[in-house]
Amino acid sequence: MNQERFLRYAMLAGLLTILAAMIAGQMLRFQFDSEQAAKIRRRAEAYSRSAQTVYPARGQIYDRWGHLLAGNTTVYEVGVELQQVLNPHSIALTLNVVLGLDYAQVRQAVENPASPDAVYVVLDDFVPQGKIDLLEQYRTDILASTSASRDKDRPSLNGLVFTPHLQRTYPEHSLASNVLGFVGRDQEGRAIGYFGVEARYDDQLAGQPVTVWMPNDPKLVTETPTVPEGTSLILTIDREVQAEMEAVLDQALESSGAASGTIVVLDPKTGEILAMATTPRLDLNKYWRYDQVFKKDTPFNRAISQAYEPGSVFKVFTMASALDKGAVKPETTFLDTGVIEVGGVYIYNWNRGVWGPQDMQGCLQHSLNVCLAWVATQIGTGDFYPYLNAFGIGHLTGVDMAGEMSGRLKVPGDADWYEADLGTNSFGQGVAATPLQMAAGIAAVANEGKMMVPHVVKARIIDGVQYETEPRIAGMPISADTAKNLQVLLARSLQDEASTALVEGYKIAGKTGTAEIPTPFGYTSGQTNASFVGWGPVDDPRFLVYIWLEKPQSSIWGSEVAAPVFSEAASKLVVLLNIPPDRERKALYSQ
Amino acid sequence: MRRTNWRHFDFWLLGAVAVLTIVGVTMIRSAVAGNIELAELDLVRRQLIFAGVGFVVMIVIAAIDYRLWASLNRTLYYGMAVVLAVLFITGAVLFGSARWFDTGVILIQPSEFAKLVMVLVLADFFTRNKELVGQLSTVGRSLLLTMGIVIWILLQPNLSTSIVIIVIWFALLWAAGLRVKHLLLFGLAGLVTPFIGYPFLAEYQQRRILNFLFQDPEARHGDIYNIQQALISIGSGGWLGKGYGYGSQVQLRFLKIRWSDYIFSAMAEEFGFIGTTVVMFLLLFVIYRCLRAARLSRDTFGALICYGVATMLSFQAIVNIGVNLNMMPATGLTLPFISYGGSSLLSALIGIGLVESVVLHHKSLEF
Repeated sequence: MNQERFLRYAMLAGLLTILAAMIAGQMLRFQFDSEQAAKIRRRAEAYSRSAQTVYPARGQIYDRWGHLLAGNTTVYEVGVELQQVLNPHSIALTLNVVLGLDYAQVRQAVENPASPDAVYVVLDDFVPQGKIDLLEQYRTDILASTSASRDKDRPSLNGLVFTPHLQRTYPEHSLASNVLGFVGRDQEGRAIGYFGVEARYDDQLAGQPVTVWMPNDPKLVTETPTVPEGTSLILTIDREVQAEMEAVLDQALESSGAASGTIVVLDPKTGEILAMATTPRLDLNKYWRYDQVFKKDTPFNRAISQAYEPGSVFKVFTMASALDKGAVKPETTFLDTGVIEVGGVYIYNWNRGVWGPQDMQGCLQHSLNVCLAWVATQIGTGDFYPYLNAFGIGHLTGVDMAGEMSGRLKVPGDADWYEADLGTNSFGQGVAATPLQMAAGIAAVANEGKMMVPHVVKARIIDGVQYETEPRIAGMPISADTAKNLQVLLARSLQDEASTALVEGYKIAGKTGTAEIPTPFGYTSGQTNASFVGWGPVDDPRFLVYIWLEKPQSSIWGSEVAAPVFSEAASKLVVLLNIPPDRERKALYSQ
Repeated sequence: MRRTNWRHFDFWLLGAVAVLTIVGVTMIRSAVAGNIELAELDLVRRQLIFAGVGFVVMIVIAAIDYRLWASLNRTLYYGMAVVLAVLFITGAVLFGSARWFDTGVILIQPSEFAKLVMVLVLADFFTRNKELVGQLSTVGRSLLLTMGIVIWILLQPNLSTSIVIIVIWFALLWAAGLRVKHLLLFGLAGLVTPFIGYPFLAEYQQRRILNFLFQDPEARHGDIYNIQQALISIGSGGWLGKGYGYGSQVQLRFLKIRWSDYIFSAMAEEFGFIGTTVVMFLLLFVIYRCLRAARLSRDTFGALICYGVATMLSFQAIVNIGVNLNMMPATGLTLPFISYGGSSLLSALIGIGLVESVVLHHKSLEF
């Protein structure tokens, strides 16, 4: 009996042995079957290492004196590792209390992730350090109070993960926002610069991301790659000047009722942009409000992205060309009869008046269209347009910000150019230019005929070494003598007119401009663009200010609306730029 | 009355079991290393305490004449049934599901001990009815006896332990002399049952089986994650393993439940093919010594006890390793002596105690 039982059990044991043998077979297969082994090894390899892209910290942006305009701060992405979650309720409740997230939404995201394959779900992003500290505190507290419990519904923040990353911050909020641009995310979620300097220098600021295959096993990690920080930029912008110009501009918009405004401040000798104020401006820390701030076609930076008909400030180019060519001299007299015909079109003065005999200063001082149209005919088509080209009209200035527009200058040979354009162009009609183009061109007059390339980046810091941007000459549209003569004319005309643009103690040169805004039916809107360009001190120009107010309501005339803004701006500038009044400077030099 | 003669004590069996238990504790230590939450539970010390208590209990059980249990079998059987029923009812009311009794200090899993109770009860039943095993009614009665316990475990729900008990029942039934024609009948039933039973399984059980049978290339990450990680662990161990405490799958916690269900994979990664082969041979040796005890036994009761314990150990080991090697659907069966689990370790050691008792009391005469 016992024997039979043993035999019977031996049969059973045999059965179990077969199972055991299969197990041994499987084990051996793992060891020897190269295909199976390779498959598993591939999978293991895939898990054991992962490609990690280390993004360098984005380069900082400073103003010309080293004040931070754009920096980085550590923020956190808050997510959950779904496998590790013990209590979705705790997580949802805590995030609701600390971060103000919606309880139901968090719970839904944790319990029923949108993708069934999900192992990790992002719940919030850009969470500042303080909130994370609070969450960590909660985690420790909960763990301490529940460590003894084995209840499966015990409160637990298990699975909650905080991943730090850098976020762009702009300590000055909307200051110079039009120049800086901002860092947003592209479709793939990567940081990318939009507009201004952030876009123009995006790849340099972003630096070179390094992708390495990092073992997930911390014991195998030998070194984490060091990634050089992105290039930092020092701008030519002066924070104080920029702030003042923005204040002056906002004030001007308020008092004039203009729809928008632009102030550009250049150093005419170097082309450095000291300030560039436009409206509207955006708090760059809330860049997602872009759509609300910039409605429809509103350009991010009017000074470089919006061309307009500048009007009489353009006469500076006409007169400069004429003087340079020798077509007229400052003392040349023109008999203004109130009307002139150019290319079959009759041109009248702004007040339709007859001004009688005028020298060139008078023509500029009274801004006589008839006179300037005559001057243009004296230059002739063949020379006038090359001069305008040389002043950069219709061409990009090459300023180092993203989104510059070139405007439009029709030249002889273009299908839509007519003989009459010579006349209208002479006083800034039928031509479109950006405020920066106008400023950069006219700056040649203030800089002895040399036109500098306008720029906002003063220096770049690469790996701790500072590389200065050398000022570049864009061209020499007129001779130094011409520039001087014209400057004298423009200075005197302001003085004699007792213009509202004048600044006490400083000799200023400048020109007003008023241009009717064209509609599809001609100049019928009654709305104007009021402009002013001025620079000083005339004997040693330190700044050139270009002002454009769009559709001012208090007065349509540039001389009444834009000129006082210049005076306001210039009187601030002489203080901020530390320019002594002319008399004191002369006293200093003569010593 | 046969006297306990310690000369017959199977020290080889004791030694093998001791080595396996130590390997288990060592592996658990590596598996939970560095995990703060697990460290707080202090699995290693718990397992050590259970092992210590287990070896003492084993010696005591070995010293007790195993035939005492035959006289206690009704008490054991009804006691266990009541415990399981109470656990099921209170568990259902209080926690929704429960396999454990929380004694305050330790958790006890009665179903682990139910396996041993069933070994004893069935061994006794078949001993008393050994002449009637050829009758289908006896077979039926033994099945009813088994189901009286299994039903509560099934309801927990704990399918894998239920299957272990059914397997023990069948092994003992066969050893006791089941007729071949009845075996064919059972074979047929055994073929049909899975298909009839499948719709009654819990959703997670169905999914595990489906995942095993038809590996869906688009399976949910969570469904195949564990087994994938287990295979990677085993595969990456190679011949000699990565060394104790150096298995990246284990230490970096890719491998889940690595201190219990998947401890075999953890072992394979850190000790390699050689290491796991040694452990498997040790297990095989333990089972062989159980069978040797069965052969030595003078009475049917003792032999059946040894068969029952051997079946329990070998079946659990095969299933556990089979799961680790992706040869079977995932179950919660532990690897005897090695996996973490106090009740599981204790019941395995008590089982060995019973076998030792059979060895110790096998000779009626001493010269």
